[in-house]
Amino acid sequence: MAEEYVVQMKGITKVYPNGIAANQDVDFNVRKGEIHALMGENGAGKSTLMKMLFGLEQPTSGEIWVNGEKVNLSSPAVAISKGIGMVHQHFMLVPSLTVAENMVLGMVPKKSGLFIDQKKAVEITEEYSRKFNLEVDPNAKVMDIPVGMKQKVEILKALVRGAKILILDEPTAVLTTQETTELFRELVNLKNQGYTLIFISHKLNEIMEITDRMTILRGGKSMGVHETKDVTAEEISRLMVGRDVVLKVQKDKAQPGDEVLRVRDLEYVNEWGKKMLDKVSFSLRRGEILGIAGVEGNGQKELVDMLFHLNVPNAGTATVNGENILGVSQRKIREKGVSLVPEDRMLYGIAGAASIQENMIADRCGSKRLNKGPMFDMKSIHAEVDQLIQDYTVLCKSGSQRVDNLSGGNIQKVVVAREFSNNPCLIIADQPTRGIDVGATEFIRKKLVELSRAGVAVLLVSADLNEVMELSDSLMVMCGGRIAAYFEDTSELSDEVMGEYMLGLKRQTPEEVRRVCHE
Amino acid sequence: MNEKKAMQAARRRSLTFTLVRGAAAIGIALLVAAVLIFVSADGDRLAHTGEALRQLLIGPLFRSNGSINVKNICDVLAAMIPTIFTGLATCVMFSANQFNLGAEGGIMLGAFVSALFAVYVPLPAGVLPVVAVLAAAAAVSVMMLIPAVLKAKLGVSEMVNSLMLNYVVMYLIKYLLNTHLADKTKGQIQSYPFQEQARIAPLIDNGSMLTWGFVIALIFVVLTSLFMYRTRWGYGIRMIGINQDFARYSGMNVAAIVILSQVLGGALAGIGGGVEMLGRYSAYSWNALPGYGWTGITVAILAGNNPAFVPLAAFFMAYLNKGCLLMSTYCGVPSQLIDILQAVIFVFFAAKQFLAKYRQRLVVKGAQEELAAQKAAAAEAAAETAEGSVK
Ligand SMILES: Nc1ncnc2c1ncn2[C@@H]1O[C@H](COP(=O)(O)OP(=O)(O)OP(=O)(O)O)[C@@H](O)[C@H]1O
Ligand SMILES: [Mg+2]
Repeated sequence: MAEEYVVQMKGITKVYPNGIAANQDVDFNVRKGEIHALMGENGAGKSTLMKMLFGLEQPTSGEIWVNGEKVNLSSPAVAISKGIGMVHQHFMLVPSLTVAENMVLGMVPKKSGLFIDQKKAVEITEEYSRKFNLEVDPNAKVMDIPVGMKQKVEILKALVRGAKILILDEPTAVLTTQETTELFRELVNLKNQGYTLIFISHKLNEIMEITDRMTILRGGKSMGVHETKDVTAEEISRLMVGRDVVLKVQKDKAQPGDEVLRVRDLEYVNEWGKKMLDKVSFSLRRGEILGIAGVEGNGQKELVDMLFHLNVPNAGTATVNGENILGVSQRKIREKGVSLVPEDRMLYGIAGAASIQENMIADRCGSKRLNKGPMFDMKSIHAEVDQLIQDYTVLCKSGSQRVDNLSGGNIQKVVVAREFSNNPCLIIADQPTRGIDVGATEFIRKKLVELSRAGVAVLLVSADLNEVMELSDSLMVMCGGRIAAYFEDTSELSDEVMGEYMLGLKRQTPEEVRRVCHE
Repeated sequence: MNEKKAMQAARRRSLTFTLVRGAAAIGIALLVAAVLIFVSADGDRLAHTGEALRQLLIGPLFRSNGSINVKNICDVLAAMIPTIFTGLATCVMFSANQFNLGAEGGIMLGAFVSALFAVYVPLPAGVLPVVAVLAAAAAVSVMMLIPAVLKAKLGVSEMVNSLMLNYVVMYLIKYLLNTHLADKTKGQIQSYPFQEQARIAPLIDNGSMLTWGFVIALIFVVLTSLFMYRTRWGYGIRMIGINQDFARYSGMNVAAIVILSQVLGGALAGIGGGVEMLGRYSAYSWNALPGYGWTGITVAILAGNNPAFVPLAAFFMAYLNKGCLLMSTYCGVPSQLIDILQAVIFVFFAAKQFLAKYRQRLVVKGAQEELAAQKAAAAEAAAETAEGSVK
C-alpha cells in the first residue's frame, strides 16, 4: 500500500560536516491529506530530517520518495517543484524588504526587466492573506513587524509557491493562544482541501488537538509511528524523553520585597505614527514574577526593547534600583544587574560562528573570576562553561562546538544559561522557553521560580498563555499599548477572563490598573 | 573523555582536509602555470617548461647542482618579516569586521618614523632601535585613529578612508623627504644615513637580509595569537566581528573595540615598518608604497584571519615570489605569471565548495567509526554486566 503515502523517507542517515549523526536510519512516511506530527527532544533531529525533505541538506544515505516517485532533492528549488513547502524554525526573511517583496522573492512578478512589480506583489500578498485568513501588512518592512506576523509571512510564502505538502517547523512557538487557534483552523481547512501537513511542535496539547498521526524521534533514531488518538500526552512525553515530565511547577507564595524595576508613563510612537506604548507604568519587586500577557503586537516587544535600550521611548522613565536605565548603554544596564532573554535569539542572543563557550561568557568576559591579570583564565572559563552546559543540558559534543551547529532548542538553552547565571537582580525573560522541549521547559520554569524565590525580580513576557498564568505571581495584560488589566493573584484566573482583556473587550479602571505601581 | 577524543578526531580530520585542499589548490595552479609556460615558450618547450617549474618549485631551496642554497632560503625568510607584520595587522582588523586597508600606508609611515629616529635621535645602542620602533608603532596607531574614530562615531566606511589615507601618507612622506630631509650629496633621493647603533643586527651573516627582525616577527605572532584568543579584548574584537548586535547586547563597548582593533592593527603595521627599515636599510629611500600592506591582506585571508597561520601564509607568499623571480631570471618566464598563479591559488582557497565532497566523505567515515566504537563500547559494557551477574 505504498501509494497512500505522499512522502516516504527510507533509511535516512545524515552526518553533518562536524561529524554529528543527526539522523540514523530513520523511516518517515506521510499519508496524503493528513496532519503528521514530528516530535522529539531538542536535537533529536527533527529539523534535520525536514531540511532533507526540503532539499536544504542531502542525506548521507537513504531514499526519498514523493508521490510514489523516487526523487533526488538536490535543492529547495527541486523540492518546491515537487510541491513541498517549508516554514523554518528560524525566519528566512530579508529584514530590509517589505512583506510583499519577501512573499514574491525568487518568483518575482516582473513589470519590466529587473524591478519587482510592487503593486502586483502587494496584490498577491493580499489575495493569499485573505484566502488563508492570515493577516499581514504587505507594505511593512519585515524588520519592523512583530514575530507573530513574520511567522504568518513565512506560511504564506510557502503557500504562494504552490506547496501541497507543507512542513511547519515549530510554527506556533511564538504565537499567542488566539493566533494558534486561528492558525489551527486554517491548517484543518488546508487539510480538508487536500493539503498534507507535517507539523513540528513541542506543545503536546497542540499535537493532540490537531494531528492525525505522529512519528517520534529520539537521539536521531525513530521511536515509531503512532495514531494520535491511540496515545496520551503522558505516553508521548515518555517516548520522547524516556521519563515522566511534570510541567506544573511547584512554587510557594511570593514574598515581594523592595521595588527593583520602576517604569512610569512610558510612551512610544513608532515610525508610522502608531502609539505602541501609552503611559505604561508599573513596578516590579524583588522575589516576584510579573507576567505580561497579550496578543502579539500590543506593545510587549516595544516595552522590552525600551528597557534594554534596543529602542528609545518618546517619554517616560524607567529605573532599576533607583538608577535610570533609559537611553544608557547595554553595558551600564547589565552592570546594574539586568539580564535579557531576547525574543529573537538569532538576532541578539548569539554570535553564530563563535563557540558555545564564547557565547556563554559574552556578558562576563571582563569579570575577575574569569581573568588572571590581562589574560583569560582558561581553566575557570572551561569549568564555568562545562557546568552551565551540564546544568542546562545543552546537547553538544563540547563547549568548543560552534553554536549555530546546535539545534534550535539547544541554542535557546545557551542563551538562557548565560542570562540566568550572572547573578542578575532583574531578569527580563521574553519567551524564555521558545522552542524548548518539554523536559528542558520544565527545567527552565523551575529555574525561574527558584531564582525569583531567591530574590530576583522577573519580568516574564510570553505568548504562551499557560506559561504566563502558571509561572507569574502577578500578571498584567497589555492591549493596544496600554496595561488593560492587572491581577495581583494569578491562581484564580481563567483563560476566558484573560482572553476578554487581551482582545480589548474589557478593560480595568485606571485605579485598578494603578495598583501595579504599588504606591 | 570520549567526547574529547571525538573532538580531537574531528580537528584532525579538518586539518587533513585543509592540507589536502591547499595542496590541491597549489597543484592546480601549477598545472595552469605549466600550460601557460608551455604555450609561451619557444624551442624545446618541454625541457623549458620543466626547467621553469623546477625553478619555481625548488629553486628557492636548491642550487642547480643539488646542494642546499642557504642564501636563497634566508632571502625567503627575510622577505617574510614585513608581510608577517602587515598580515597580523590585517588579521586583527578583519577579525573585528573592520575592512581597514591601511596597513600599506601604515608600514610606510612606520618605516619613515623609525628612520627619522635612526638618523636624528642620539640614543645609545640597544635603546635606539627599540625607541625608534615604538615611535613607529605610536605614529601609525595615531594614523589609524582617523578611519577608526570616523567609523565608530559617524559610521563612515573605514575601507574608503584607510585606502585614501595610504596615499595621503605616501605623498606626505615624499614631500618631507624630497624637500627637507634628503641627503643632497647622494645621487638618489634618500635620507641621511642611519646611525650605526640604530641597525637591527643580522641573524646570519651571509649577505642575506635575515635579521633579528625575523625573530621579533615570530614573537609578535605568538603575542597576537594570545591576545586574540586568550584575552578579553581580543575576544571582544572577534565577537564584534561575528555579530555586532550580539556584542552590544552582551554589554561590550562596541565603539571602543572598533577603535581598538584598528589602532592595534596600526601599531603592528608600524612595528613592521620599523623592523624592516632598520634591518634591511642604512638610509630611508622609499618613495612609493612598498606593497607589503597589500601582500599582508592576502596573507591574512590565506590565514583565515588566524594569527597563528600568518607565518605559514607569509612563507608561502615569499616562497612563491622567490620562485617566480628565479623562474623569470633563469628561464625568461614573464614575472606577471606570478599574478596569475596567485590568483588561481586564491580562487581555490576561497571557494568554499572546492573539494567539499571529499570532506563529507572524511567526516562520514569518522562518524561511522565513532558510532561503531560506541556500539562496541556498549556491547562490552553489556557483556561485562552479564559476566558480573553470572559471577
Ligand atoms: N548545520 C549543522 N551542522 C552541524 N550539526 C548540526 C547542524 N544542524 C544541526 N546539527 C546537529 O544535529 C542534531 C540535530 O539537530 P536538529 O536541528 O535536527 O534538532 P531538532 O530536533 O530540530 O531540535 P530542536 O527541537 O531543538 O529544534 C543536533 O545535535 C545539532 O547539534
Ligand atoms: Mg529544530
